[in-house]
Amino acid sequence: MSARPGAPDGCLGARELARAKREAMARRARRIRVWVAAATVSLFIAAFLVVYVQLASGHDPALVASAERRAAGSSGTSAAAAAARKQASERERREEQEAARSRESEAGATAAGSDEESESSSSAESESSAEPSTSTESSTAAEPSSGRESESGSSTGEPEAESSGPSGLRTSQS
Amino acid sequence: MSEETTLRFACFGGRCGVYVEGDAAETARQAAGRARSSMLLWHRIFTRFSAASELSRLNADPREAVPASALMARLAATAREAAELTDGLVDATLAGELSRAGYAADLPPALPLRLALALAPRRGAAGASPARGWELLNGDEAARVVCRPPGLALDSGGLAKGMLADELASTLGAHRSFAIDCAGDLALGGAGGLAREVEVESPFDGTVLHRFSRRDGGVATSGIGRRSWLGADGRPRHHLLDPATGMPAFTGVVQATALAPTATLAEIHAKAAVLSGPAGAPGRLPWGGVLVFDDGSHRVLEAEPAAEQVASAAMRAG
Repeated sequence: MSARPGAPDGCLGARELARAKREAMARRARRIRVWVAAATVSLFIAAFLVVYVQLASGHDPALVASAERRAAGSSGTSAAAAAARKQASERERREEQEAARSRESEAGATAAGSDEESESSSSAESESSAEPSTSTESSTAAEPSSGRESESGSSTGEPEAESSGPSGLRTSQS
Repeated sequence: MSEETTLRFACFGGRCGVYVEGDAAETARQAAGRARSSMLLWHRIFTRFSAASELSRLNADPREAVPASALMARLAATAREAAELTDGLVDATLAGELSRAGYAADLPPALPLRLALALAPRRGAAGASPARGWELLNGDEAARVVCRPPGLALDSGGLAKGMLADELASTLGAHRSFAIDCAGDLALGGAGGLAREVEVESPFDGTVLHRFSRRDGGVATSGIGRRSWLGADGRPRHHLLDPATGMPAFTGVVQATALAPTATLAEIHAKAAVLSGPAGAPGRLPWGGVLVFDDGSHRVLEAEPAAEQVASAAMRAG
């Protein structure tokens, strides 16, 4: 930037002064733009990493919420949710009845095999569907003759109760 | 009338059940206990997730002809028949593809079905594998040998559940009434000819979509909602593969329930219906069933008259 002809030495002319100011403003605007862009990109990357790490580590909040809803029998207000709750309570009631029947009838049953897993005679069905799972469950009814399974039901030879017929079943994806 | 013995337990990656009423050569309790023990034993034989299982050892065996148990040979023969019956659509030789897709171990809780469908690629009916590996698979139950090219891995999948339900059903026919529930694949029957109500569950919210009343035969449900996960690319995955691509099939049908004379046939037809898509699925359910579509709607199919006659003949033949 040079002094204007005719102007005192060391002083800038109005034109140069204006250009200098414009350049300074442009530099400042550029600096602000770069800063905003960098901050935006950094924020996005940070947020993305947080979400990605959470999902990759198997802690998907949507899945957790869904599982909790299912476990709680759903607390929604829609007709479908109400139907699901009704269905779940019906199933629980039926399984409780199954459990009661099974506890009475299971004692004394003898197994051909020698597995150590306890058998369930009811209880709400768990959502776990891990392929090789053969998990032990509560409400066990064991076969005393096998000698390897615990027993919690009565082992007396009570006469069998009348039943109204075969129990219903439910088919779902295998 | 006697009390029905009911056993419910975890097996085959799901919930299984045995229901027996009426004493025969063995009491209902003994029969139920034996059936349960058999299922737990068979689970250990047919699981892919244990290197010690017979199936894993068979798949890893470098020989072309591998000595096997009678049941394993029957599974191989059944897998071949299933592929022949569906022209390669139900292909049990995709164990390698299934592992590569991410189903090589226990799965976390399934993706919500609506989310999976929202993230899924374009819908289209599945097709047979161009490699047609199943044509090279043979199981000889009498000779107890399974023949296949080394490297061609067998997946027990739903076929084993249907087959094992039928195997147990064949031993319980003298009881007044029985039902075997192999994680959703059902075999029903009994000398008393008693009808049993079977509910079909919605894959979206678990509500009951339809109820069948069945005296005997098989009922099976196949679908994409139960075993699903998110792939590394953010796309949903599930265990029903399109044999043509080796990738999970999104056909527009999310669940099919099939009725059939046996649980094995029901399993084959249910799976074929899901893979066929909405246009082809009804034709895959000749004995009737229920189809559930992407949008949550469902359709109940009645048995075709010809199929009814076949089923009756099969029942009379025992």
